[in-house]
Amino acid sequence: MAELKVNREESLVEFAGFKFLLINSEDGLNVDRVQFHNAVIIDGNDRAFIRQIVRRIRSDNQPDIYLKPIFILKGININDPFVNKLVDGTLFSLDQIELIIPEVERILTKTKDLHFTNSLSFEAQMIEKTISFMYTCEIQDLEPIPYIYSSNNYSYPILSVNFRQRDEHIALDILEIAEREGIFDSTYIDRIYLCPSCQGGHLTYREVCPKCGSSNSTTEDIIHHFPCAYVGPLSDFTNEIDDQLDCPKCNKRLRHIGVDYDKPSVLHECKACDHKFQDFNVKAKCLACTTDNLVEQLKGKEIRKYSLTKKGELAAINGFVSTSKDIEEIIGTVKFETFVTMLKYEIERLRQTEGASNICAVHLSNPSQIYSKMGSEVQKVLLKDLVKVIRSNIRSSDIISFQSSSTIILSMNEIPTRIAKRILSEIIDMLKRLIATTFKDIDVEFEYEVIKLDYKLSPQLHIQQLTKAFG
Amino acid sequence: MFEELLDNYLRFLESLTVEHFIRLFWFYIFFEFMRYFLLEFFVLNLWKLSKLWNKKKYAKAKKEFHFEYPLVSIIIPGKNEGKHLYKLVQSLNEQTYKNTEIIVVDDGSDDDTPTIGRDLEKAGRLDVFIRNEVRGGKASGANTALRFTKGKYIVHLDADCSYDRDAIEKIIIPFYLDKDVAGVGGNVMVRNYDESLVTTLQAIEYYDTISIGRVVTSYLGIYRIISGAFGAFRADALEQVKGWDIGPGLDGDITVKLRKLGYKIKFEQEAVCLTSVPNTVKKLTRQRLRWDKSLIRFRVRKHKDVLIPNQAFSFLNFFAFLENITYNLLLNFKWYFYLGDMLINYRSMLVNIIITNVLLYTLTNFFKFVVYSLYRARTNASYTYFLIYIPCMVFYFGYYLRVVRTIAYIQEFFFKQSYKDPWNPSKTSVHAKKMNL
Repeated sequence: MAELKVNREESLVEFAGFKFLLINSEDGLNVDRVQFHNAVIIDGNDRAFIRQIVRRIRSDNQPDIYLKPIFILKGININDPFVNKLVDGTLFSLDQIELIIPEVERILTKTKDLHFTNSLSFEAQMIEKTISFMYTCEIQDLEPIPYIYSSNNYSYPILSVNFRQRDEHIALDILEIAEREGIFDSTYIDRIYLCPSCQGGHLTYREVCPKCGSSNSTTEDIIHHFPCAYVGPLSDFTNEIDDQLDCPKCNKRLRHIGVDYDKPSVLHECKACDHKFQDFNVKAKCLACTTDNLVEQLKGKEIRKYSLTKKGELAAINGFVSTSKDIEEIIGTVKFETFVTMLKYEIERLRQTEGASNICAVHLSNPSQIYSKMGSEVQKVLLKDLVKVIRSNIRSSDIISFQSSSTIILSMNEIPTRIAKRILSEIIDMLKRLIATTFKDIDVEFEYEVIKLDYKLSPQLHIQQLTKAFG
Repeated sequence: MFEELLDNYLRFLESLTVEHFIRLFWFYIFFEFMRYFLLEFFVLNLWKLSKLWNKKKYAKAKKEFHFEYPLVSIIIPGKNEGKHLYKLVQSLNEQTYKNTEIIVVDDGSDDDTPTIGRDLEKAGRLDVFIRNEVRGGKASGANTALRFTKGKYIVHLDADCSYDRDAIEKIIIPFYLDKDVAGVGGNVMVRNYDESLVTTLQAIEYYDTISIGRVVTSYLGIYRIISGAFGAFRADALEQVKGWDIGPGLDGDITVKLRKLGYKIKFEQEAVCLTSVPNTVKKLTRQRLRWDKSLIRFRVRKHKDVLIPNQAFSFLNFFAFLENITYNLLLNFKWYFYLGDMLINYRSMLVNIIITNVLLYTLTNFFKFVVYSLYRARTNASYTYFLIYIPCMVFYFGYYLRVVRTIAYIQEFFFKQSYKDPWNPSKTSVHAKKMNL
């Protein structure tokens, strides 16, 4: 049986060859130390302290830190659903450490499957971080939890932990992007409304005067006296002597609702501006920025449960470099959908003419290696440079698009295939020279393919054929 | 046949002496010609002169009005009027006088009026939109609107009307000409005058009885009905009379109530409103039966105390009532008396008497229509358009309206039919009938 070694001075617990970082005071945590241990054990009864430590580890940007298993010692009941979603288990004493070893082993093994890239944008980076965590912890669904400390009232702990409370709405945008990229499938859970000024969800709804917006008003029933058609608020009819209702116009006593009088509506009177009205406006005051919004102006957002797709799992393993939006922003390219549409028209054209048109692909063979060595700005520069070189060597009528962050496809219409191949080969040489001079420490490998368009095949089949060799 | 008729008629004319003429056409000479032409023409000239005379006074009143710049509350009660609201609000937003608030009361509509009204309120095109889930009648609608007003003056409008750009301004100025004025009636013209013969005849009628007739009664101080389509009131005076009573005929009723308190009521010819009138005989008959019944209900029954000398007796009110009752009620029956007189005494000349009457009335109508054009503020169509229809007026005024009026008087006098009119919900009419209101 393995021996348990506890070194409180060094904050170190060792067991069965695994090193655990034992954290028992907030000041003692330097998150960088987490990466030199296999897992973290938080020893403390203070819930705020535990919450703080968990947040600091999980919101770090280094996979060596944020993916590390976290356990809580003493098993105090953490009734914070946010923290519960971010820890991997609890221990009543260090003697039970043996019980968590399989979990630690599993997480660490799964972490080794992952390739980490430097993503092209912040959104891509957050997506990669979330799906990596889900993969290592074998979490299939990213479920929203109603959470009072979230500015949106709903939180996705794994993703939301990366944001300050007031920025949590960004998590919703990122999840929408990830779903568009095919990383997640989603199902509807709820709908929330956010302040259009600060995106906060802590709103207080009030009925206000339609004229001045004040919520300070009085309300009275309006009475219609049938015999004389007098209409006025209840107070006009109230008789102070015997508590009966008497008409101020004809002095008759009101006896029976529906027979000699009725109450057709209500009268609200604003105490701030004296405006009399029947229908309130409903306004939502943001507790974060104090903006008073008409409910129609609130920003509606759907809260959905997100499930990792197969593509998402692969993206977690291989790294998620960029979203479509990131590469669409590169000048000189068109959206992939636009490329497919134009390809369809070109195939249609070829059905009626006897021309020869081609589509080509340029593929980065080792994207994980390249992107992991580059910051997102440099990645963008690289992609821009690649497009610039290609664009200057093809005709202006030909179009370029990104199929993914590692595959560029382009059209070469009305040109023999062998010439297209020759041009593309020259382009690849130029690209290699460019990389060698601009990005000296990076070894970039290119593959390329050219196929002649066949009017019997669909655009999708052409693209499949073109990129199948790239794996 | 025709030649024989003509020959006979010419012989009849040749044989006519002055005494004979007066004996045969006493009804026309003493009642119609005297009252509706001579007196009217005389008063119109006086009015025109006084207008010139008071030009400075009018300019001063206008200046005072603009200096004070009071809030004017425009109230529009109605049921199922949603379709008219946008156009109406547009014409009100165009007004030259801007310090207004628009209050619309939807009296239990069962169409899309609530949606339209709320949309307009939200868009800021009207100030307050009130929805009464259960219909209470026109009076309760107007009184509900009154509860929401803040203005010094209240303008009551009908939703299916539209207004000249300066109509609101023009209808308020008379309050500044005389501090005792508590109500001002606007000039109502027919918008759909060219829709059918019925609407054309009504357009001519309105030019005569409203644009001119009310100038005369207003000048004489006996103007007695501020039409619901366009009328302005002093808010404090409306508060005194506690708003409108149950209709039909509530616009005439409130005018009388104000007059009884000693207030003056004026007509402003230049405050112009266009309205759509009934376009078929059936619809027109229904409308006129309702209007005419109110003479019995309000003048003869509810406000009969005006005719009795007491502490609150006012000669002008007495005269206004007497004139109204004489010319509308008694004259109506006197006409039958005249018909009987002719039938009994001059049966052999009856055809010639009728032809002469028709000619006399037609000539008068032509003359009035042309000459009175000098006294009208404006028309909403060319005068010449109406000229060919003038001959029809004798049948419209003299026969059709007279018959309708007779039926209405009988229905109301003997059967109190106005309390059964679906124009008002029965839950209110039943109480009004019990209380003789």
